[in-house]
Amino acid sequence: MLEIKHTLCPSCSVGCGINVVLNDGEIVGTFPYKRHPVNAGKNCLNGRNSIDCYKNKFGDVDVDGLIADVSKELNSASDVTVICSGNSGVSEIEAIKEFAESKGYNIGFYADNLKNYDEVASYDDVENAKNVFVIGDLLYENPLIGRRIVHAKQNGAKIFAFVDAEASVTFNIADECFNDSVVEFLDVAKDNVDESSVLIFNQIDSVDDLDKIDALDCKLLPVFSKSNSKGALSLLEPKSKDEMFELLDNTKVLLVFNDDIADELEYDFSKISKIISFAPCENKTTEISDIVVPIKTWLEKDGSFVNAMGETQSFNAAIESDDLSEIEVIEKLNG
Amino acid sequence: MSYVLAKSQNEDIHKAGECGGAVTSILKYLLDEEIVDGVLAISPCDDVYDGIPTFVTNSEDLMKTAGSYHCAPTMIGDLVQKYLYDKKVAVTAKPCDMRAIEELIIRHKINKDNIYVIGLNCGGTVPPVAGRKMIDLFYEADPDDVVSEEIDKGQFIIELADGSEEAVKIHDLENEGYGRRTNCQRCDVKIPRKANIACGNWGAEDGWTFIEINDEKGQEMIDGAKKAGILETKNPADPAVEGRKKVEGIMIKMANKIQDKMYPTVNEMDDWNRCISCYACRDVCPICWCYENCELNKPFFKDEQNVPPTPIAFQGVRLSHMSFSCVDCGQCDDVCPMDIPVSLIFDKLQKKYYNRTGYVAGVSDDVKPPLYSPEKTEL
Repeated sequence: MLEIKHTLCPSCSVGCGINVVLNDGEIVGTFPYKRHPVNAGKNCLNGRNSIDCYKNKFGDVDVDGLIADVSKELNSASDVTVICSGNSGVSEIEAIKEFAESKGYNIGFYADNLKNYDEVASYDDVENAKNVFVIGDLLYENPLIGRRIVHAKQNGAKIFAFVDAEASVTFNIADECFNDSVVEFLDVAKDNVDESSVLIFNQIDSVDDLDKIDALDCKLLPVFSKSNSKGALSLLEPKSKDEMFELLDNTKVLLVFNDDIADELEYDFSKISKIISFAPCENKTTEISDIVVPIKTWLEKDGSFVNAMGETQSFNAAIESDDLSEIEVIEKLNG
Repeated sequence: MSYVLAKSQNEDIHKAGECGGAVTSILKYLLDEEIVDGVLAISPCDDVYDGIPTFVTNSEDLMKTAGSYHCAPTMIGDLVQKYLYDKKVAVTAKPCDMRAIEELIIRHKINKDNIYVIGLNCGGTVPPVAGRKMIDLFYEADPDDVVSEEIDKGQFIIELADGSEEAVKIHDLENEGYGRRTNCQRCDVKIPRKANIACGNWGAEDGWTFIEINDEKGQEMIDGAKKAGILETKNPADPAVEGRKKVEGIMIKMANKIQDKMYPTVNEMDDWNRCISCYACRDVCPICWCYENCELNKPFFKDEQNVPPTPIAFQGVRLSHMSFSCVDCGQCDDVCPMDIPVSLIFDKLQKKYYNRTGYVAGVSDDVKPPLYSPEKTEL
């Protein structure tokens, strides 16, 4: 039986809608979700490939046995750190936070070295800006924000771009390009901002750049690499890269909830005695983990993500699953 | 080819369906008589702007597909070939759907014996998100209050929950950058004559559907539905046939004018500069069916390390390969994250190919695809 169902793209924080195609009870493809206000049916390659996570799910295992193993490890453990990320939905992050706090564990939450801003620019603000300042190859890395930058240009905006590469798609449409340092770029921005200007960024050189960004008198739009980083930021204090390294240095047992921290941080994870991963499919972190507990993909659970402009969007499970969600894992760990 | 006027004999379908519910009745007949395993048609999901292809196997569920959805610019050709190849299916098809189906039939990707096509005459479709904005800007109505919409007599008409209607001339909307999708504006195939039957309201009396019966299978569908007692037909008067022909002629003439206006506006290299090589245009194209075997997936065409991508390595190769077969469905425009007017570029070249060869993709009677080569079959 062929069915098409709405869901959200989990690939980054832009918050695009995407349809999944089910045939005879299996997810077999994606289909444009043209009614979705963020992306009007347009998805990048990452978005269209996002269902690979479902297709490559871990096979059947003895989950209760694995949970028992995890509980045993935790019973005698000290210096436990819980990694929580924007890959989890809002209610799951709340549950993970409560779990970690109740057990006295540290929480490691990394949001691309960026931080939270209560007030952020909307996607319409980008289209209506007279000057748009871009840090990162947004057109290539977050194309559905990149599209808004293209619209801004078509509306007459001047585009200033910093990309730490000699060429980029964003450079192709920019009026002025910079590739030396974010600091230098922010100095240019400071001299050119007006009240309609928007600074969009998905990277910085160092946390010091954030102070310079704070000092700019314009609207800001940080774009994160994970679908619910913005939602997580309202619940958790993010750590910088250096703070994450320090935390990991003081960790003996690492619990990783739905994240691939080993891919994200260049850290010698062999220094940690025990790594336990809760993940739907294989990644670099599960490869180095001592215990891996399979969990549901986003396609198999209800939830909500907060997108980069701060809008909470809910989604329903597209397909049923016997696997556990993060919340169900925690319930089992709590006994 | 012959013509009939038709309407449903089923009271519920007559009320819910467009133009007397003939299309829904024929689909019900095909399902109830087990002539097909299922029906692929459009039904609204969250609201009238959110039409999605829906596969119906029980005729009681057909009611949710009744009505017309102009804010649902979907494509069904690729769904049939990817997921329903082995099933007997009935589909409702706009002219571009039908053209895609026809191109896939000649490529042996859809089995002609397995498919029953109820064509729908089409004056164009409206992108849902822009459509809502358009209603907000040009109508005295909240887009959320719209319960149905229609394109008729050069106007985009909305019906509100309280039963009132508002209409604005499509020409005025399109002058402001709204209205129909740009590929629909220049589309000059308004009646899907490769479908077994082509249905619409042009030339029809109120409460009746004007049906053009294009082949034997179409005639059998009409005769069968009548015999089953679900469809009533009568012959259209000559002025009705002439009236329909006139509407079609005017719409084609307008489309040709828009083509002449649009084709010179595109600058391929400028637009391709925004290309991120995401392959969305290729992947959504109903005619592109090679998938993993696509030459563009071969290492010598992959330029993932090369950002920005070289436009000619992807767009240029695809254009040279596929433009002759372009059915101008506009799906590539709809999905391009960078809003590159892909279909305009392809359609412009298809028209050049047509001018040289007379081949119109999905319309001409050729049994082989353009630039056919025996090597292709190895894919």
